[in-house]
Amino acid sequence: MEASDRSDDFIPAGLASLGVEADETELAMIAAVHGVFWPPIQGLLALDLGDVEPERNPDLSQAPR
Amino acid sequence: MSTALDLSLRDQAAAIAAGEVDAAELLEASLERIEQRNPAINAVVETFPERSREMLAAAPPGPLHGVPVVVKDEWPLPWRAQRFGAAELMRPTAPGESGPYRALRDAGAVVVGVGNMHELGAGSTGNVSVYGPCRNPWDTERCPGGSSSGPASAVAARLVAGAVGADGLGSVRFPAAYCGLTGLKPTFGRSAMEGHHMAPVTDLIVSGPLCADAADCRLLGSVLYGEELAAGDASGLRIGVVRDPVSEDVTEEVREACEGAIEALREETGGEVREIVLPDLIPATLAAILLINAEGLAGTTPQQFNELHPDLSPLARAVLKYRLLLPAPALVQADRLRTLMRRRLAELFEQVDAIAWPTVPAPAPPLDPAMVELPSGAHGADQANVRGAALANLTGIPSISFPVGLSAEGLPLALQLQAAWGRDELLLDAAEAFERASDRRWVDSKPPLAEAEPTEA
Repeated sequence: MEASDRSDDFIPAGLASLGVEADETELAMIAAVHGVFWPPIQGLLALDLGDVEPERNPDLSQAPR
Repeated sequence: MSTALDLSLRDQAAAIAAGEVDAAELLEASLERIEQRNPAINAVVETFPERSREMLAAAPPGPLHGVPVVVKDEWPLPWRAQRFGAAELMRPTAPGESGPYRALRDAGAVVVGVGNMHELGAGSTGNVSVYGPCRNPWDTERCPGGSSSGPASAVAARLVAGAVGADGLGSVRFPAAYCGLTGLKPTFGRSAMEGHHMAPVTDLIVSGPLCADAADCRLLGSVLYGEELAAGDASGLRIGVVRDPVSEDVTEEVREACEGAIEALREETGGEVREIVLPDLIPATLAAILLINAEGLAGTTPQQFNELHPDLSPLARAVLKYRLLLPAPALVQADRLRTLMRRRLAELFEQVDAIAWPTVPAPAPPLDPAMVELPSGAHGADQANVRGAALANLTGIPSISFPVGLSAEGLPLALQLQAAWGRDELLLDAAEAFERASDRRWVDSKPPLAEAEPTEA
């Protein structure tokens, strides 16, 4: 899926669904932010982490148990 | 003539304790120097001489008795709420005793001013702030690094010898690198965090010291940690080096300086250098960014996003609103990747004591545009910088940045070391070992601004 093809809809629709307003300038800026974030988000989503058992309430001050 | 203001943090404290320097005179000298030098760098956004004098008058004996310090605009003070470098934080703040303030006060230190910072802590450059851009004392047309821009710039310009910053995605280490300082990102949970507006919800942000060298970071760090960061021995240091597209994508002079520093550190400690493999650093960076942005949503309501302060920068407004659109599956995946990276690091730290790579891939960029030219092309400094720093915040491990050279343009270059959870002291030991190996050449280097006519103290 080419994110940029849909972002014109995704961003205003997503914000509108939450009742959040954004003018044209803001929408353009948010689209730019989306353009930076979305490719690596897709990369993250593509990682196969199904076998990783998440830590429950990890204590980041220590090594994982 | 050298003055007490130009002494190290520890030497200022020792000179006051020995009666060789009058703390009241030192405070006035610091205030005067801020007046003289700060207009060129905008590092200190507020002073409060009467409060500082009152703090000194009430200062107990302690390891920093009478020593002036700067605190980032991320921490409340009893007489001032933090502004986070922004027109609005989206959450209530109030004056109060933050953990770092209490630690400093109880150690006898004197808060002489508040340090500028990148708006909302959301940048590695320090060139965007409600107070106006902070500037780098090494070249005032360049970024000082962020988000702890003011604390770093203030120490580099020798307005003070130590400052307290905060690090959520590299915000102590970036300005340390750009300003030629030593900056410590503590193991998560070891340093004072009370009073930070994100303290109840964050797993990534920590307070940390910014000073000229490792010994000063050890002293100020001990105050922030509430425990002595005992000096040890970095003998036999096993240094892990990652060879991947991120760590290789640095300027030639950064590469040469860091490789030289790693070799000098190996030689000084009688240690060894091993190539290690640490996959998924790029998605791990994104994971940290997603998680800290999700943390930023805590306690907010969508309605608040319709009432953002008009003076927030356009980019800040966009990022704040974009947070609302982050896909839940990505956040779940980020959490899983955090677990995986923590496990990988735990295994790696069985084989090596420290992982080394450049703190930032290029020296400080211009204030505008804050772009860096890397082998892979031109990048925004934020995008390039965060790749080297986010892992420590994602996983909780400590990390330190220290200066290892100067670029052809006279700008600081820096190396970053990361160690296992709780081994913050080892990082300080290693940084000190490099200082010995380099005859303190880089930690004793001062920017032109700090070589200006000294203030008598």
